[in-house]
Amino acid sequence: MDGTADVDIYQDEPAVVIDDVSMTFRTRSTKKGGRLGNSSVDVQALKNVSMVVGRGESVGIMGKNGSGKSTLLKILAGQLPPTSGSVYATSTPILLGVNAALMPELSGDQNIWLGCLAMGMTKKRIRDKYDSIVELSGLGDAIYLPMKSYSSGMGSRLRFAIGAAVNPEILIIDEALNAGDDQFKDKTKKKMHELLGQAGCVFLVSHSIPTITELCNRVIWIDAGEVIRDGPPADVVKWYRMYMKALASGDRLAAAKVRRRIVRDHQRVIIEDRFSGRRKLTS
Amino acid sequence: MSGAPAPVPGGHAVRTYVDLKSLHRVGARQGFLDYLVSIWRYRHFVLYDSRFRVGSANSQEKLGNAWIILSPLLNGLTFFLIFGLLLNTGKGIENFIGFLIIGVFLFQMSSRAITSGAQAIRGNKTVIQAFNFPRATLLAAINVRELLSNIPVVITMMVMILILPPTEAITWRILLIPPVLALQFFFNLGVGLVLARLVHHFNDLGQLISFAMRLWLYASAVFFSIDRFASVPVIQRIMEVNPLFIVLDITRDSLLYATTPSWESWATLAVWALGAIVVGLVFFWREEEKYGRDS
Repeated sequence: MDGTADVDIYQDEPAVVIDDVSMTFRTRSTKKGGRLGNSSVDVQALKNVSMVVGRGESVGIMGKNGSGKSTLLKILAGQLPPTSGSVYATSTPILLGVNAALMPELSGDQNIWLGCLAMGMTKKRIRDKYDSIVELSGLGDAIYLPMKSYSSGMGSRLRFAIGAAVNPEILIIDEALNAGDDQFKDKTKKKMHELLGQAGCVFLVSHSIPTITELCNRVIWIDAGEVIRDGPPADVVKWYRMYMKALASGDRLAAAKVRRRIVRDHQRVIIEDRFSGRRKLTS
Repeated sequence: MSGAPAPVPGGHAVRTYVDLKSLHRVGARQGFLDYLVSIWRYRHFVLYDSRFRVGSANSQEKLGNAWIILSPLLNGLTFFLIFGLLLNTGKGIENFIGFLIIGVFLFQMSSRAITSGAQAIRGNKTVIQAFNFPRATLLAAINVRELLSNIPVVITMMVMILILPPTEAITWRILLIPPVLALQFFFNLGVGLVLARLVHHFNDLGQLISFAMRLWLYASAVFFSIDRFASVPVIQRIMEVNPLFIVLDITRDSLLYATTPSWESWATLAVWALGAIVVGLVFFWREEEKYGRDS
């Protein structure tokens, strides 16, 4: 235990608590020799990520490609079990992503049914929601064509529309706003605001700083699998821009210096259960 | 404190006390009974998924779903040429063609269901990572699909037995076929559940399954009579408790030989089916949290 830690008591009811989550992927390299599982490489995607998110918060998650954002989202939604640590939530968060696997052989119409059923919706709910899903996807008659004939934009529109149909309490959105043309962007943005109004809390991953500052009231910055900054959008975005600028200019020394400053000021959270007085055991 | 966090460079730690009482752990495995209930709640997903799989399984082939019947037919023909004509294993078997048809058609039902069941987790990783649903529903869907696509197979089988000489008369025992198929269904599902978890852990096992199934085929008296081993009672005994042999035996007795299958056969098969499904569900459920992980 480190005795230097400050103590904070979280008074409100949290919606999501991420407790010391780490994720290591073991990837098998078949390149060498091609023999049975001989060489394996460990890739650490997340390192001791902890945070507490309350109701009504909309949290933006920023970071470079490969910084571990998508892994964190999958763990949040319970789709990927973390190597260590746990996520606690009031209800299972729903991930609305461009990665949601739909069946390429099936038509869009059949995929709506399958996807909604897989999310646990009842047949009646699906029937009620069906028209609004098709309308949001903007696919028109293409909804009866097989998914494999869709452009990637059409596919992600359909995925967003299907995911948005559940009205979850905790919602995770992965880059959805960046997909599609302007007309669709307006539609999704409207739908997003609607969902934000209904949901208890929202996580949004995006590379677009304007999107995040517009929709979020808290930003978490992940770099190389660690949370290095967690705070109001204005503050995090300021540092993020400074860091990205240093990186883009190729000045690695300056970038490292900025990063050190960011990390130094960051308050690392250690989760304790208020009532049992000790750490919750994982799994 | 269990597993103290690795030191993170820089920053300072804030010990935050949170009320975790009202929260539940995301992705936590449900209790076994809750798990069964949630499988039931996802029954529409199972039905829809399996209907789609029946529809699209052969969509790449020109003859489409005709292959559901054509492939056991050709299989049976091959076995007939090799074992019936060349090796003459059918000597002494009454109505060898009927005997072979039942053997090949029914064995293929199990072997297809078990082989594809074993790949259920591996082959559906993207769906598993995209949605939260009880994973056992994937195996249910695969087995329901096999059951649905086997309805025409069973009908073809019966028609062939009725029209190919020597023709057999229909007796009341034809009513014993649905219960036998039901027991076979639960047995397949149970074995599939066990194998799916094992293959998820040891990918290599998937390679072995086709060999195991072939061995099982030979041990199930598909194209020869079990009486061949009358001189080695141990082998005969082992074959007689083989659930797939019992399935074939009960069906042959009912359809070909106008014999009422013994209650011992029924009891053994029922124990196998019930045992497989219970063991399979529990064994599969215990790893429920981990199926989303790659390998």
